[in-house]
This record gives sequence, structure tokens and C-alpha cells, in this order.
Amino acid sequence: MEKKYKVPIGPVHVGLKEPITAWLDLEGEKIVGATVRPGAIHRGIEFMARDRNPIQVIYLSERICGICSFAHVVCFLRAVEDAASIPVPPRAQYIRALVLELERLHSHMLWAGVACYTIGFDSAFHLGMVLRERVMDVLEVLSGNRVNYGVATVGGVRWDVTAELSKTVKDMVKYYKREFSPFYDVVTADPIAKARLRDVGVLTYEEAIAHSAVGPTVRASGVRADLRESSPYEAYVDFGVKAVVPQDYYGKAYGDVFDRFLVRVHEVYQSLDIIEKVMEGLPEGDIMWEKNLNKVLAYLKKAEGTGMSSIEAPRGDDTHVVHLDGGDENVTWWKVRAPTYSNAVSWPLMFKDNELADAPLIINSIDPCISCMERMLVTDASSGDQKVVTRTELLEKCREKTRRLMQNDRN
Amino acid sequence: MSFPKKPVDNVRSAKTPEEVLSRIREVFGDAVSAELRERKGGKEDRVGFYDAWLSVPKEEFLNLVDTLAEFDFPQFHVISGNDDGDVVTLYYHFTLFQVAGRGKRIGVNVSVPVDKKDLVMPSLFSRIPGVEYSERETREMFGVDFDGLPNKALVFLPENWNESIKPWRRDEAGPSAGDVRELS
Repeated sequence: MEKKYKVPIGPVHVGLKEPITAWLDLEGEKIVGATVRPGAIHRGIEFMARDRNPIQVIYLSERICGICSFAHVVCFLRAVEDAASIPVPPRAQYIRALVLELERLHSHMLWAGVACYTIGFDSAFHLGMVLRERVMDVLEVLSGNRVNYGVATVGGVRWDVTAELSKTVKDMVKYYKREFSPFYDVVTADPIAKARLRDVGVLTYEEAIAHSAVGPTVRASGVRADLRESSPYEAYVDFGVKAVVPQDYYGKAYGDVFDRFLVRVHEVYQSLDIIEKVMEGLPEGDIMWEKNLNKVLAYLKKAEGTGMSSIEAPRGDDTHVVHLDGGDENVTWWKVRAPTYSNAVSWPLMFKDNELADAPLIINSIDPCISCMERMLVTDASSGDQKVVTRTELLEKCREKTRRLMQNDRN
Repeated sequence: MSFPKKPVDNVRSAKTPEEVLSRIREVFGDAVSAELRERKGGKEDRVGFYDAWLSVPKEEFLNLVDTLAEFDFPQFHVISGNDDGDVVTLYYHFTLFQVAGRGKRIGVNVSVPVDKKDLVMPSLFSRIPGVEYSERETREMFGVDFDGLPNKALVFLPENWNESIKPWRRDEAGPSAGDVRELS
């Protein structure tokens, strides 16, 4: 009989956005069950916000996540603007959409590259990273930063689109339309990559809906859900965004890691189209509802109400809820629901009946941080022996499987 | 009960927010209060979608979720809330019609006051398994128990946490000044 193991993946590194531990029940190499335990490092950001005014919370919300920091800021601000009935000028809405899409570009490219790295396809990983640099440069031209852009503020944005930036953005779109397809072709046409990604970590259509999965994870299961389509917010009211689902490209949604890959790379093209529309349609006018920060703070101090916002972040639906009490300058309470919070509920279903070697890929497929797997502890249930499996060893296991497949392919 | 026991294919043809609200008024009368918010955007400031804000007494909560499920499988976002003195107010955030096409989604935000003398809510787990983390989080942060939730382990707080401290409470159950360490 195969030895049974209980393997925890995690806990996590301080610098992560969404810390997760997964306990896997193994029979030999097969995963027969999984329990997920998030919150190895809960920073209590919502609690901290109680001592801060909405302007200060902008910079706190930016630090929830290093990759989709702008999505959290916009989501928080939309909740504040909903609670306090603050309008956002159209030009500011367009600039927010521009940065949101730039962020989606770099997030999806990072993910696609890292997925290749996880299976040992390093040349594709390097190609992905080279491609990603271009959008990081554009963000740097806009805000001076590669992460945490500090672009948005209550009732608008702080940085305008200059002639220099528009040229940089246009050049970037041209570059990606030319250079992104080789990356896509290399990965999707590679039989080994496909063998590693296809039918791994499957989440069915019904499971995805019942477990309220979001973003590329739910779309890869064939659910046509995208908040930019179903509830167009801000500038997206003017663009006809359509949810990217695998059945539109391959006739069928498998709901596996390959489909999650497919959805994200097609969303890169979709984001490029949206960026073009933003730049063409960018309206003239103010970029802020009120330039004087003291007036904004005085208005927010008087404002009373509960506001909520859900926007389509790179990883899926991000939800923020904010309550402001009249007379209190601070945020009374704030709730953040990052997309991984929803998607992690589906992990146990994705793990089931897969191999341990595929665990890194499955964890990675919903796009949390790969460094969540900094170390693993393998427990021999029969003897109680414990052994720490390092991230390097786990990665090696994952790559070994690719080499095995390549060997079989040659024979 | 009308709640779809099997997670169904989301409906493709949406109802309007007015139709949803009039059905809710028909079932609950004055027990449920409702507000509809237009969410506008774009160059011409057009309505992109609607958010409904409902408040419901605890005893009608499950009926309300079942009434929502007559329209579509409610996609669950999160439970938020606040300690409002004698009650802990929970806000459940749902979506209806997430795949029914452009601009058809309705955000449904349901607030429920939970009396501190009886901090128990019926769990939605058997209806919507996606609520698991949120119910566990609400349990550990506010001390609201969920009747019917199978796994009540801590989700975000550390294993060695003193469970008598409920971080989001503002009364004596919440963290005292000595429990909070200022980082700067």
C-alpha cells in the first residue's frame, strides 16, 4: 500500500499580498484531499484604517498588493465616492481605466512567465519577463514608480496624461501587437507545455459558480463573468468589453490550468484594445473633482454613508466596502475582499486527484504569489517523522516531471 | 424552498432591478427596506449598472436569500460589518445576473442587525459553499457564530490567538489598548 502523507504548503513570507497555507493529503504522489489555511500573516489593514482618514487609507490600500495595487486603490476610492456621493470627471475615469489595463498587462505577463518557469520552461519565462519590462517602463513614465503608483485620489487622479506619455503608450501597444504573439505561439504550440497544463487542476463550470470563483479562474471554467461587461463602471461604460472564455477559442472550456493560461494571454490582447480606445477617446477636462485637499477632507468629514465597489482586478472581482460617519474624519470601517480570498475556496477542488508535482502549478494557476511556497513540511503519518521540503526541491520535482515527459516524447 | 440545490447554470436573461425589488416587497412587505443606487460613468454619465441596498431582520434573512435565488444563483462576494453598540450589523454582498450580458448585473447588499445577546446567524454554507471563508472570518473577528457551518476553525488569526479577543469589536470583547502594538 502507498504511504499516506499530510503535506502543508506554506505558511508564507512577510512580503506577500495573500498568505496561504495548504495542507495536502497524499497517497503516494496523488493528492486525495486538501485543506487551505490562509492568514499566516494577517496584517490587520482594515483595523489600521480606523485611525486614518480616507486620503491616508489610499496609501494603505495601495500596499495590500504589490501587483494589483492600483486596482485596490480604485476599488477603495469608488467605495468612498459611493458613500460620500463624489463625482469623478470623465478624463480621470479614462486615466484610471488606462492604469488599470496597464496593470492587468503586467500582471498577466508576469503570471504567464512564472507559469512557464514553474514547469521548467525557462526560455519562455525569460521571454515573458522581457516583454513585461515595456509596460513597467510606461508606468514609470506616468508615475515615476514601478509599483504603488500613487496615481488616484478621492474624486479623480493626480497625474495627467502628457504628450510624452501618450506617445510611450502608443509605442507600447504597437510593440506588444508585434512581439507578444511569439510568446503565445511558443507556449500554446509546445506539446510538453500543453501536456503539463492540460487537464491539471480542473474546476468545473458548476463548481466555479457555487464557490463564487472570480476573474480568469471562473472564466477559464467557461463562465462568461467579467465585471467590465456585466456592470460597466467608470470609463468602461463607453467600451464594449466582452468576457474572454476558452470556448470562444477552442470550442470547449476544460477549466484546467491551460485554460487559465489561455484566458490570461487573450486578456492581454483585450487590454491592448481597451488601451487604444482609452487613448483615442480620452476626453478633455479636469482630472480632479476638487484640487484643494483640505476641502476634500472637510467634505469627507461631514459625509455619512456606506459605499461599496466591485471592480475587475487582474485576478478577478475585487470588492471594497467603506463606511463614513458624519463628524468623524477617519474611515469608520472598511472591508477588503481581494480576488484570491474567493478563489482560494476552490483550491481543494482543484487539487483533488492531481499529483504532488502539479501542486505548485495549481496554486499558481489562480495567480497568488508563488513565494507562498517558500517551504513545505512533509509529515510521515505512520511514524510521525517530519522533513522540510524546500521550495527548490519542490520546484525540482515539478521540473523533473517535465523532463520525464520530454524523455517519453523522444522515445 | 426555491433555492437551487444544485449550482445551476447562471441565467442568461436578467430581470430589471425594479422587478427584483417589487418581488421582494411582495414577499416581505415592510419587513425589508430597499434602496436602489444608480452607478454612473463614462463621458455622458450614463447608468452602467445598479446596486440594491436592502436591510432585513435576522429571522427573514434566509427567506430573503431564497427569494434572491428565484432569479439567479446569487454570486457571493463577502460579509462586511461593524459593531454598532447593541448589535453587530453584518452586510452580505451578493451579485445577481453575473453572466446575463452587458450592464445586467445587479449588486445586492443585504444588511442584517445581529443582537449581541444572541450572536448567531444561520449559515449559508449549504446553499452557497463559497461563503466559507467569510463566515469563518466574521466568526473570529466579530464573534458571530454561524449555525450550520461545518468548519469553524480560525481562518486569518494565528493558531495561538486568544479567541476571547474579537479584533473588530468595539466593546469589551474587542482588543484593549494593551493588545495593540503601534509599529511607529
